[in-house]
Amino acid sequence: MTGVAALRASAMSDPAARGRATSLVLGLVVLWPLLVIAEFKPAAIFEAQNLKTMAGFLAAFLPPETGQEFLVYLGRATLETLAIATAGIVLAFALAMPLALLTTRVLSVAEIGPGPGRRRAQALHYLLRAVLTVLRGIPELVWALVFVRVFGLGPAAGVLALALTYGGMLAKVYAEILESGDTRPARAILEAGGSRLQALLYGLLPGTAQELTSYTVYRWECAVRASVVMGFVGAGGLGQLMDQAMKMLNGGEASTILLTFLALVLAADALSGFLRRQVGEAGTGGRRSGIGSVGVLLGLAGAAAAAISFVYLGIGFGALLTLESLRSIGDFTASFFPPDLSPQWLSRVGYGVIETLAISAVGTLLAVVGGVVLALPASGRYGLAAEQFARFFLNTLRSVPELVWATLTALSVGLGPFAGVLALALHTTGVLGRLFAEALQNAPPQPRDALRDAGAQPAAAFLYGTLPEVAPQWLAYALYRWEMNIRMAAILGFVGAGGLGQLLYFELSLFHYAQACTVIVAMLLLSIAVDAASAGARRRLA
Amino acid sequence: MNHTLRRLALKGAFVCALASFLVPSLIGSAAAQENVLRVSAIPDEAPTELQRKFAPLGKYLEKETGMKVSFVPVSDYAAVVESLATKKLDLAWLGGFTFVQAKIRTNGTAIPIIQREEDAKFTSKFVTADPNIKSYVDLKGKTFAFGSPSSTSGHLMPRFFLQQAGIAADKDFRNVAFSGAHDATVAFVAAGKADAGVLNASVWDKLVEAKKVDTDKVRVFATTPPYFDYNWTVRGDLDPALVKKLTEAFLKLDSKNPEHAEIMQLQRASKFIPTKRENYDGIEKAAQSAGLLK
Amino acid sequence: MSFNIENASLTHANGFVALSGITLSAAAGERVAIIGPSGAGKTTLLRLLGAALRPTTGGLSLLGRDPWALPVGELRSLRARIGVVHQAPPLPQRQRVVTAVLAGRLGQWPLWKSIASLLYPLDIAGARAVLARLDLGDRLFDRCDRISGGQLQRVGLARVLYQQPDLMLADEPVSALDPSLARQTVRTLIADAEARGATLVASLHAVDLALAEFARIVGIKDGRIAFDLPAAEVSEVLLRDLYASECAGAAELPTLANEPRFAAHVVDAGPVTQGARCR
Repeated sequence: MTGVAALRASAMSDPAARGRATSLVLGLVVLWPLLVIAEFKPAAIFEAQNLKTMAGFLAAFLPPETGQEFLVYLGRATLETLAIATAGIVLAFALAMPLALLTTRVLSVAEIGPGPGRRRAQALHYLLRAVLTVLRGIPELVWALVFVRVFGLGPAAGVLALALTYGGMLAKVYAEILESGDTRPARAILEAGGSRLQALLYGLLPGTAQELTSYTVYRWECAVRASVVMGFVGAGGLGQLMDQAMKMLNGGEASTILLTFLALVLAADALSGFLRRQVGEAGTGGRRSGIGSVGVLLGLAGAAAAAISFVYLGIGFGALLTLESLRSIGDFTASFFPPDLSPQWLSRVGYGVIETLAISAVGTLLAVVGGVVLALPASGRYGLAAEQFARFFLNTLRSVPELVWATLTALSVGLGPFAGVLALALHTTGVLGRLFAEALQNAPPQPRDALRDAGAQPAAAFLYGTLPEVAPQWLAYALYRWEMNIRMAAILGFVGAGGLGQLLYFELSLFHYAQACTVIVAMLLLSIAVDAASAGARRRLA
Repeated sequence: MNHTLRRLALKGAFVCALASFLVPSLIGSAAAQENVLRVSAIPDEAPTELQRKFAPLGKYLEKETGMKVSFVPVSDYAAVVESLATKKLDLAWLGGFTFVQAKIRTNGTAIPIIQREEDAKFTSKFVTADPNIKSYVDLKGKTFAFGSPSSTSGHLMPRFFLQQAGIAADKDFRNVAFSGAHDATVAFVAAGKADAGVLNASVWDKLVEAKKVDTDKVRVFATTPPYFDYNWTVRGDLDPALVKKLTEAFLKLDSKNPEHAEIMQLQRASKFIPTKRENYDGIEKAAQSAGLLK
Repeated sequence: MSFNIENASLTHANGFVALSGITLSAAAGERVAIIGPSGAGKTTLLRLLGAALRPTTGGLSLLGRDPWALPVGELRSLRARIGVVHQAPPLPQRQRVVTAVLAGRLGQWPLWKSIASLLYPLDIAGARAVLARLDLGDRLFDRCDRISGGQLQRVGLARVLYQQPDLMLADEPVSALDPSLARQTVRTLIADAEARGATLVASLHAVDLALAEFARIVGIKDGRIAFDLPAAEVSEVLLRDLYASECAGAAELPTLANEPRFAAHVVDAGPVTQGARCR
């Protein structure tokens, strides 16, 4: 009797409710301390004194600096930035391709059967995955800071830092893309006795080349931004100029640099869109070669750009490989070990970790809200004018790097974690808004239209018809960005926004390499943990 | 080279990457630099400003040594020290603390050769725009801006003297920021990014003279006791004859000589005097007691 | 009068004439089956009746109102009284069945209720009741991408049953179901319309099902009404004529037995590809 009653009661209540309520409560319980640690005080933005300071600085943006000497300097820095990004991506690509080839499971002959040598293959697989994690787990800025010490001054440090971090990222994403496509052709080739490379070229590439190319082009776009950021630690280019202008609060110069940078990013954006279209057409044009003459031309142009970049930067990689410099690299690396694991230091680093997490979590959360708000008009739901405006706004937010935002937000709310939160939120809003809008545009319209045709209000039709389609994708994007923002939050400390970055910058400056090593290891562990957590979350969403 | 380039253009990106590794290595950067004196300076001011300040001095040194002098701009203090230690620099303008670090990094071989007369009794100025801050004690719970963590006058000595006055920078401030450079510290304080800050007296005087700071708003509320600061340091294994030439060249500089006037004015020096390692022992002790040296 | 179409035509933006010279009306509570070959314009006609497409020329009145002369708010409340069963149920993959069903009343609910129901389903009992009528009571809390195509089609039906519209439009509502379930499901639909006095217009692929369950049959071919007769008067000749085309002269009539299975995700191919397939 009671059994039946219980059954009926359970049948009449939502079995997911308890889980939802628990997550909600848990979310709030976690969020609260995060807000406290991140010193979340939105009111500070609107304090009269802060508004005045900010307005004063922004007023100094006009007119932009147009002195000839400065423009020449700016032009050279812009070229240097482009060259660093291009050279960095080329090296990253050269690093990522073999790594991706080796870490893609579907390309493993030993997996079939499973055949002989499976255990060894698996061990190698895990080892390489670990290498990738280390490569991309340490932010490029940290690599740059370290490389500036070892390889001396100049763009070489920036190029190598990009190569390592982006090499790790590209390899991981390449492997994911390769595995997400139709893997049967590759398997067929392997089963027919083909080699790993053959299976890649004939089995996987035809289906994924477009996505691989567009991701690489997208990464190049990111590298342009990253190379600006690395300028902040002395790796040359626009960033170095920007750093000075921002520090000296030279509004005129800052605005010219920002405009240049905006133009650069928009151009990179346009170029990457153009390239992606070309690749798309080459893929669908029904040509036998699958690449076509346009593809060949573009490939050549890319190769030429890469060659010019290397020549322009004039990096003496040979000098890096002499016995003497290898020894000094060795000495330098050795001075980082063993890391300082004393309880006092660990507790400081531990707090830095928590602070970094809080800054990144709150910043990403704000960005999700902002991203949704801007993605709705940017997806064209409210007409062309709203779409264009929202897109422009998102592009502007996105093309200003977090570090630059941080120097601005520090003006408006003072130095400290909250400035970091705002900086992350502003930049990430630009990124997420664009991705969210794309997801909205790609969502099937039928569910929403059906609801509208049944008399639902637009908002309700959106919530029931579109949101369920895009929410998992949005969440995946948000998690992914959070992952990146943790790395970024670790860096923002370089401009005084707290977290691990400030500790690292301080310790590196004072040659306390053992302590710095602990911080780098903490950054790495943090990044690995987040990686695992977000991979788990994404699996659950799928 | 031309031939190589044409071939590069024809091959893919892969080949490019590899070739670029190899081509510059053939040219080699070391071979060409036998007759070049590589000079840098800690970026305690904007690197562009440093470059401007150095230009006439560079020309003068070229004339005196018969070598080509190239100035390498840097935006990271520690990179200068590290470059000196890895022999990527021959001569560097260092702060007292960076010299101590360089001495340690080079196992005591780096040689300070010359300093300005002013550097023997250097001071730092504490500045604020907050009318309520009148002494060190009022700084508790405020946001405070140092220059670079590696700066002597912008960080180490002020921290040391604050400590002597019973204020622990890591505990008593609400937030500690490192502006990176002395002029940036003033900008931070003027803009309210930080409640107070500290910078070297020489830069402060320069900013006031050039009217780059609004003295009605930002004022000095404390000055540190004097200490040894900046010097020109050479790496330990530089040819002693060259070291001697450089030292003499600096000593010959005379602010009364119209040919030298511009150099001296840009260097903000009345006169250059010889210096020695022992002058910086005090700084080393201060660094140890402030916990900045381990 | 439940709806009334006066000499309506509909030309798509690409110049394709989907409907021409349609005049059709039905009294409240009537049940009409629409049959005809693929691409004849059945779906377009239903979309016209659902106020989802506007006729290029001609007059239209739905539940006594001209939808295209109404202000936005009133058009919305008119639409809330019209329910459409789609051939491919337009349900988000990751939505749960209960939410998908409750969405049927979004047109009647205020916004706050729509939002609250997303957090916790506000009418579990109601959703379960309609699902039970379609043998789906136990699927209430499953996700739409975890159930079969046939079950999904019935969830789409359940949504409209839950909506309780005055005018029910069904576009091939049972195309993904096996014959006996198809028949049973159509009967459920008819019974619901009957019980509430609602009008039901269903396009059906299976001629035998239409003839057996519906009193009035409208045959459509090439965007025009070929015949509009009581079921008893629809002759074999009329049907052959309706389904005759250049390449399928002697083809069998589409019936439940040769219904294409699980076509839920096949979008109506349209006349162009149809022609191409013939050649």
